[in-house]
Amino acid sequence: MSTPELVTVTIDDRAVQVPKGTGLVETALAAGVEIPVFCYEPRLGPAVGACRMCLVEVEGMPKLQAGCTLTAQDGMTVRTAQTSAKAADGQNATLEFLLVNHPLDCPVCDKGGECPLQDLTFRYGPGRTRMTFPKLTFDKPIPISPTIALDRERCILCYRCTRFSEGVSEDGELVTVNRGAQSMIATFEDEPYRGRFSGNVIELCPVGALTSTQYRFLARPWEIQNVPSVCGLCPVGCNIDVTTREGKVKRVLSRNHPEVDEGWLCDKGRFAFSHPHARDRITEPLRRVRRRGFEELSWDDAVDEAERMLRAAGTRIVTALSGSETIEQAYALGKLLRQGLGAHAAVLPEETSTALDALRLPLSAIRDAELVVVVGDQPVEERAPVVDLWLRAARRRGAEIVTIGPTGSIQTPPGSAPQVCRDLAAENNELGRRLRGGQRSIVIWSGPDGRGGEHIAALAHALGLADVAGSGAFYLPDTPNGRGVADAWSAVADGEPADPEPIALLIVSGDEAAANPGVRALAERAEMVLAITMFQGLAVGWADLVLPGTSYLERDGTYMNLEGRVQRLRRTVIPPAPDELAWLAKLAGRFGVELSPHPSLVFEDVSARLFGGLAFADIAATAALPTRAKAAPRPPLPEPEPQLGGDGLRLLRYRSLFSGAAVERVAELQFQRPAREVEISPEDAAAKGIASGNEVAVRHNGTSVALRATLNRRLAPGVVRIADEHAGDLGARVEVGRA
Amino acid sequence: MSTEALVDQIRAIAEQYPERESAIMPALHIAQERYGWLPPEALCEVADALELTPAYCKAVASFYDMYHLRPTGRHLVEVCTNVACALVGAQQVVEAFEAELGLRAGETTEDGEVTLRAVECAGGCGYAPVVVVDHRYREPVRPENVPAIVEGLRRAP
Repeated sequence: MSTPELVTVTIDDRAVQVPKGTGLVETALAAGVEIPVFCYEPRLGPAVGACRMCLVEVEGMPKLQAGCTLTAQDGMTVRTAQTSAKAADGQNATLEFLLVNHPLDCPVCDKGGECPLQDLTFRYGPGRTRMTFPKLTFDKPIPISPTIALDRERCILCYRCTRFSEGVSEDGELVTVNRGAQSMIATFEDEPYRGRFSGNVIELCPVGALTSTQYRFLARPWEIQNVPSVCGLCPVGCNIDVTTREGKVKRVLSRNHPEVDEGWLCDKGRFAFSHPHARDRITEPLRRVRRRGFEELSWDDAVDEAERMLRAAGTRIVTALSGSETIEQAYALGKLLRQGLGAHAAVLPEETSTALDALRLPLSAIRDAELVVVVGDQPVEERAPVVDLWLRAARRRGAEIVTIGPTGSIQTPPGSAPQVCRDLAAENNELGRRLRGGQRSIVIWSGPDGRGGEHIAALAHALGLADVAGSGAFYLPDTPNGRGVADAWSAVADGEPADPEPIALLIVSGDEAAANPGVRALAERAEMVLAITMFQGLAVGWADLVLPGTSYLERDGTYMNLEGRVQRLRRTVIPPAPDELAWLAKLAGRFGVELSPHPSLVFEDVSARLFGGLAFADIAATAALPTRAKAAPRPPLPEPEPQLGGDGLRLLRYRSLFSGAAVERVAELQFQRPAREVEISPEDAAAKGIASGNEVAVRHNGTSVALRATLNRRLAPGVVRIADEHAGDLGARVEVGRA
Repeated sequence: MSTEALVDQIRAIAEQYPERESAIMPALHIAQERYGWLPPEALCEVADALELTPAYCKAVASFYDMYHLRPTGRHLVEVCTNVACALVGAQQVVEAFEAELGLRAGETTEDGEVTLRAVECAGGCGYAPVVVVDHRYREPVRPENVPAIVEGLRRAP
């Protein structure tokens, strides 16, 4: 790449050299000068110059200029309010104007204390008003969704929120209605803002116009702490700041990791934080008595009981993992069971593979790609939402994004992704040829049955992507830390897992494992069950001993995200029960296994085996991505799956982003959960005489589920789509008819 | 016109634009012709036809003066009150209509016959003040011309 031309700009008599075209706000920053802004936010696309806060005097231009809309040109001489009376005057007038209708209700405003309007008024504002007429008033606050409240009186019409909705998440749900002085931010009629990323507008708002309903009136900025951590609800691992007050989580904010999330956060990550306070949270160990009855027991008794169960079971133990444990927890469990008892059998949360390590890229590389091909049965936004934002950013930059699947831009039947990989790898495939010849080609597997990334790695190798720096491959796993858990478990010992029969003890680690039908089936066959879960609804009733689990917000430790990046979770609040490591260490001692209760020391142990001795303390707040592995395995291209025969429509089940134990326990997120509906292609709907909104019956083998039909133009004919939680026991082939 | 026909007509127009969403203005006009104004369901139909969101359609429709987000009467009287017309007495013309019709600008007569609106520039600055009656320009209109115009509307079929 050629080095960009440097230009010299003089700002407030300070000369600074920057690459030509650098924004003037950034140029000034490089010179140590602040140009204050409200509407300017480079992540939202080109500057709009809406708020006029950035007025500067530019030599040779007769009128004051909106600094944010200018870029650095050679010889430019700029004066900000610091050295230009004219600019200071302009800025003063701008602020006076912005405050004409602003209610100045700062004492009761959530934004007060962390508000750009307050701060800039303090530094640049007039301090008194000449306006004596009444201010405009509106109904307030208006709930634009159950999670976001809008106060139109406070709005300064900077258009950050609507630009986000139009140009970043591209949901088009939040808009400006009316014109001029009557302009206001609105959704359509009384519809809630339903996007997957809506919460970002709260953080973007430079005043208190858009506030979080969960955080409303709960804290003042000077009595809170922000703890840097990582979201534990999907495999992206967005960096977050967790706001706590008096030992409770009050909100979650994004924390910009430029390679992972660019400062965006999905609504699940942002709003699901209240799940640790759910009513059915387990805070004491529980032992089953008689049939379905339960009694609490002390921690000492619980550890004794667990020891007794482990001794009785010996090697005949199966451990079912969730993929939401920290690397340290999984390693600790493995150490206790594998080293202490020789019990090697485990149900891992999902298949994992090291094959993609040779094709590693930061997620931000998607934005810079020329051509991205996404294969698989599930939409990216349901599995790894922020990846969807990177794809949209790439498309806006001119990249071509091709999705191949049942809801893709190229429609294929469910289960055809292995065949698609083979086709793309073939010499004569046009799309494959372009991927092969490109300098920035990326392939992504989004859906189940990807063999932990092996299939997409095989395609990427066949296309030669491992040898091109800007090209690579991603796999979107099911669980937030499935790879970390699997790697940690296998790093503990070399013993061969032999499936015990009968199973003497099933250990269920985590709520996801407890909700897994496969694990429940194992529990039926096990003589004893020990579960580690957070919530009553899951294992209580069939586990003999339940030990309280913790949330990702309550743990110190590490997760490995889908890129292969090891990131730090921090304990943001103290859990209501000892965390897993504390009692695992105690239990391990009874079996002669040395295990520290401190995550940093456990990590040291893991790191020596898995991460080349990376020190816990060296994992940066914005963690680095390891370089590409040279020796990763090169799997063969996948064998095509036989297409499912039979009559009727092919049922495609999907797991909605807004599902799972955490989301189910957050009242404000209920409106986001998938509706009781079946998506059907317009072709199939017409053939069956079904219109959008009709009540229909979906039948399979004697079972029938009543749902509302909704037409999905992007869905391949012959396929219907239903969210997992509404699909019941329906099989792969279904009949759909008017109810 | 059925919903399907409306959607088909809008899609046919959208074909003529390089970007589908550029057809939003004619699409809103077609929908307004069908309903007489733009109720929420009309905005949803336009959105569906152009694969936009209803919110986006509302944003555009509420920006421009020629789209009606409230029902209008059988006849529509629009008085331009922008600078050129205002300088030569548009306000007096509005007031004359208000007096003659017994309503305020923005309202519809109780019998649903006439809606009076004060609008932004109608593009007839050379012949100010401009009054647009049922989409036909009358210019220049003085307060003394107003009773005859209203009388004409009352007698119109």
